[in-house]
Amino acid sequence: MGKKIIEFSDVTIGYGKKAIVENISFSIYENDFVGLVGPNGAGKTTLLRTLLGNLKNLRGEIKRDPLRFGYVPQRDTVQPLLPYTVQDVVMMGRYSLMGLLSKPSKTDYEITSASLEKVGIKHLSSYNYNSLSGGQRQRTLIARALAVEPNILILDEPTNGMDTPSHHSLLNLISELHVEKKLTILLVSHLLSDVANGVKKLILIDKNYFQAGSIEEVLSESNLQKTYNSEFHVNKIDDEYIITSKHRN
Amino acid sequence: METINQLIQLFPYAVLGSILAGMICGFLGTFVVSQRVVFLGATLTQVAVAGVAFSFLHAINLEGILTSLLGIKDHSIAHNFEPVFYSLLFAVIVVLIFSQTYKQKILTQDGILGIIFVVAVALRIMFIQKSPIAEVSEVESILKGDILFIGQSQFYTLLGIFIFTLGMFTVFQKQLKFVTFDAESASAHGINSRFWLLIFYIVVGMGISLTTRFVGDVFTFAYLIIPSSIGILLSKKVWQVFLIAVVVGAIIPPISIFLAFKYDFSSGPAAVVTAFILFLLVYLYRKIRGN
Repeated sequence: MGKKIIEFSDVTIGYGKKAIVENISFSIYENDFVGLVGPNGAGKTTLLRTLLGNLKNLRGEIKRDPLRFGYVPQRDTVQPLLPYTVQDVVMMGRYSLMGLLSKPSKTDYEITSASLEKVGIKHLSSYNYNSLSGGQRQRTLIARALAVEPNILILDEPTNGMDTPSHHSLLNLISELHVEKKLTILLVSHLLSDVANGVKKLILIDKNYFQAGSIEEVLSESNLQKTYNSEFHVNKIDDEYIITSKHRN
Repeated sequence: METINQLIQLFPYAVLGSILAGMICGFLGTFVVSQRVVFLGATLTQVAVAGVAFSFLHAINLEGILTSLLGIKDHSIAHNFEPVFYSLLFAVIVVLIFSQTYKQKILTQDGILGIIFVVAVALRIMFIQKSPIAEVSEVESILKGDILFIGQSQFYTLLGIFIFTLGMFTVFQKQLKFVTFDAESASAHGINSRFWLLIFYIVVGMGISLTTRFVGDVFTFAYLIIPSSIGILLSKKVWQVFLIAVVVGAIIPPISIFLAFKYDFSSGPAAVVTAFILFLLVYLYRKIRGN
């Protein structure tokens, strides 16, 4: 187990004075691959914003190492009207690392180029971001997050609205980044199947319900029932979790 | 040719000022349109006009304070300061409020702007009713500004706004580009989005309020939207959008003044209609060529 880099102790998250989820306790270690799962509106994005420091926790304590976050937002939240190229978008990942008045250096260009290569879209660098498919846009946003040279990569619903091949290809890319680049990853999704067979640790979240631990500990039928308010079968066949709804026809 | 000579001799600052006003609006409008806050432009023009109307009430004797504090003997400078000050003050207050709303989820930004818009229009009417100037039409004409009334001091003020705006967006282009593209990721990546969005909206608010004061709300709003939309329709790169928006903003107003002068129209509306005709031609060109 690597070094502990983030620790939440009895944290309450929410907006203003309104608490959304209470008593959140979990830790993230170096080289962890954590899945954050819950139904829509459960508070996943709120937890993410709190973790990133964009939102103050209402109660409890959060300890964070001085980390550099690579953040991949939900794709639909980035819909520019201006014709930014893929290179323009990825270069934004370097902006926080440059001086206030500095221009991108040769190193910045090398790092953005390497980031594009890692996600397999270097050939699209001069393309207009708006002209890309959903999968290509998502890869561009991942490349931008990698250009930060992050300690932890955080992806918010990266497979939302994608067709099946793009969906699987993106999940493979995320797994590769974790295995080959030793990146600590926090993957947020409302789709259990997206995370169950990739991550090492799982966080289940719903309003007033929270569970965190290793995938073996957390991925149980009773925990899923409490999170989704619905019954599931959880089976492990050839080291792969098969999760099906009991109400499926 | 004779008309052009006449125009330049009679209204040299109006011609030059209209070019600057068009360039300022074209440049700022590119951000306003791409941020999908077009209604902010409309609202700020009305807020600026309400600020000018407020200045007629002389609630605080700013003119007196300015002349005694700075020892200014030229009363026309102090006299012109008050409406500019209040239009700027009102606009900055509104952008301060607006810049803090992007994270709240109770009301839409359009809803908030809509409320500010109608309140600004209502306040303007109320301020005019209480104004010591008897003729409402006279007040309205002062409030609305007119390209042809741009004089030397207005021209230099517009030049100052243009240099300031361009300077801010050039010096801080990284921060402003990122927060206007994706504020949430910028925050996550260590850029203070709240601060930079505030700076962005203050610069936009200042530009819009001062331009409105000199060339009127209709011209300002139209030139925020039309040149930048033409830029977006014609460009494949971001810098091209800005360039086209600024060039269109610079070229159309003097042509419109010429047409207005020659065919006896008001210069402001003529500038808007001329820009719209160009927009229509560009739009049809894009449609015919295919997207």
